[in-house]
Amino acid sequence: MQELSRHNQNIRRKILVVDDELVNRRLLGFILGRDYDVIYAENGIEALDLIRNNERTLSLIMLDLLMPEMNGYELLEIIRNDANLKRIPVIVLTSEKSAEVKSLQLGAADFIPKPYDMPEVILARVQRLIELAEDNIIIHETETDDLTELYSKVFFFQYVKRHDRYYPDEQMDAVVLNVNRFHLINELYGRDTGDLVLRTLADCIRGLISDTNGLACRCESDSFYVYKPHSEDYDHIIKTFTDKLIEAIGFTNISIRCGIYSGVDISMNVEERFDTALVACSNLRGTYTSSFAYYDTDLHEKELFSERLVTEMDEALSQKQFKVFYQPKFDIRGDKPVLTSAEALIRWFHPELGMVSPGAFIPLFESNGLIQKLDQYVWKEAAVQIKAWKDKFGLVIPVSVNVSRVDICYPQLSEMLLDIVHSNGLEPNDYLLEITESAYTDNSSQIIDTVNKLRDLGFKVEMDDFGCGYSSLNMLAALPIDALKLDMRFIRNICENEKDRRMVKLMLDIAEFLGVPVIAEGVESKEQLDLLKQMKCDIIQGYYFSKPVAPDEFEKFIVDKKNSL
Amino acid sequence: MLTLDKLREYGADVDDGLARCMNMEGFYLDLIKSIMTDTKLDELEAALATNDLDAAFEAAHAMKGMYANLSLTPILDPILEMTELLRSRTDTDYSELLNEAKKQFSLLTELA
Repeated sequence: MQELSRHNQNIRRKILVVDDELVNRRLLGFILGRDYDVIYAENGIEALDLIRNNERTLSLIMLDLLMPEMNGYELLEIIRNDANLKRIPVIVLTSEKSAEVKSLQLGAADFIPKPYDMPEVILARVQRLIELAEDNIIIHETETDDLTELYSKVFFFQYVKRHDRYYPDEQMDAVVLNVNRFHLINELYGRDTGDLVLRTLADCIRGLISDTNGLACRCESDSFYVYKPHSEDYDHIIKTFTDKLIEAIGFTNISIRCGIYSGVDISMNVEERFDTALVACSNLRGTYTSSFAYYDTDLHEKELFSERLVTEMDEALSQKQFKVFYQPKFDIRGDKPVLTSAEALIRWFHPELGMVSPGAFIPLFESNGLIQKLDQYVWKEAAVQIKAWKDKFGLVIPVSVNVSRVDICYPQLSEMLLDIVHSNGLEPNDYLLEITESAYTDNSSQIIDTVNKLRDLGFKVEMDDFGCGYSSLNMLAALPIDALKLDMRFIRNICENEKDRRMVKLMLDIAEFLGVPVIAEGVESKEQLDLLKQMKCDIIQGYYFSKPVAPDEFEKFIVDKKNSL
Repeated sequence: MLTLDKLREYGADVDDGLARCMNMEGFYLDLIKSIMTDTKLDELEAALATNDLDAAFEAAHAMKGMYANLSLTPILDPILEMTELLRSRTDTDYSELLNEAKKQFSLLTELA
């Protein structure tokens, strides 16, 4: 708002003095002439002509009331009723007390008594009035959106703040309204139809908040913000709005979405309140029918947390906040379990958040592609670790690493993996690659080509989470894999649940048919182990043997293995 | 020649009038000279003669503003009194006040 009061003093404003007495005109002109351009009229008719001719540049009218032809009152009335002229402030020049009230009622902004005040007083009042009028014009021109005549965002937020000052106890809702796929309406039916949609929605909103303390703005494009007294009838509101839109534009495939932050906390700043409603609204994106959703605190906090993780990932990588842990896999086919390999699993030790659960960041980074950076980090760390153990114990403990969907699309995947392996003095078969089953079903031809290439280079590929994807039997037969890794959800209840047990048996049969070993992960008890062993499962990974541990701690398994050789 | 001293002698509130003219003596005197040929007083007299109180009020009211702005107290006083009577369209004998005004106008013009 500060901006608005910075008046440009370099512009010479124009003032019209209307008085039938020459002496009065000359006197005012003399007082004003140093700072303003002054034009004169002897009566209302002459004045009106001048006003119309100088409509855009006239800053002020100083008007005598009693004049021949057309008096000041008549002229005031004409100005007040003319949308273009009423922005020009009028100072009435009068010696009559009674005239002051009447002229103010007719829209005069101020009055100057006759005989005139001292020149300094007149100049100060004139300057102040021009400033106020210019502020008013700027406010008027920017406070509303031209298309919908609802407030613009900046003014809306100001008026919401004012509302809260005057009515701090009124329970209010912050509401965000959007038109679903609005850009398509513009593209398919033209901008006129799009504008009609927006104007109709604005009318609906105006109707909703009329007779209340409610406020509304068009925030941008098809997004409307409404601050209204709390209510529970959003189902009805949305339906009514949708019906009116359909009626206005004549086609039915139009819908809106509405996010509501109900009963706002006014200690939260206004922008945040609407961000909150926006979160609820954004969750409805992609719907094809009109719908509404309330803001959910837990959901929002989860989103904020996710956003923080995304923002801080690069820094965490460079500061080595990520550590690679190793969980051993044991071959249980013989009398005694034998360590065969390990799975590399990432752990995030955040300086402020402590240990961040992999469940919080892995699906998140998978969804936005950041997992690629994390995977590459693990690949390198794991290779360095295999080499370190090889040097220390003279044994190669193969480590399996995850290859995510997004990695498979990376054209230099095999070159990169080969480079990692070779630069650590390892061979590809020291290194196991875990690819989730669902990645195969997403883009089977590309993945089969990629996996074939990797296997040709000597890498071993394990199909991870087997049983949760939707591989067809036909496709399974053609899959180039070296091991199947059962999804841990089947193992969890294998002892208690007959159905899970049968599923595992089925998968073991498939593996046998494919001629590949089976790895069961998530094995936590002796019962599970015994059952899986009895079912001829080959390799076991899980808390029964060990949770994922830091490299130092893992070494005890290598030592045991070495001692048993 | 019209001077500030002559105006003071006449009874005008010269300091007040001058202040309104931003103490520009020449401009103040010029404004006063310009009203010496003014015919409003004749218009007032004619209106009163035909008992046209509306026209008389307009003329008196116009002079009131003018003389007040120039602080010409001796002529302002009878005009002011007439204006207030005429505002309520009082049907009375204005001749004494009118004669006083004419006398003061005449005295004023003699200052030039």
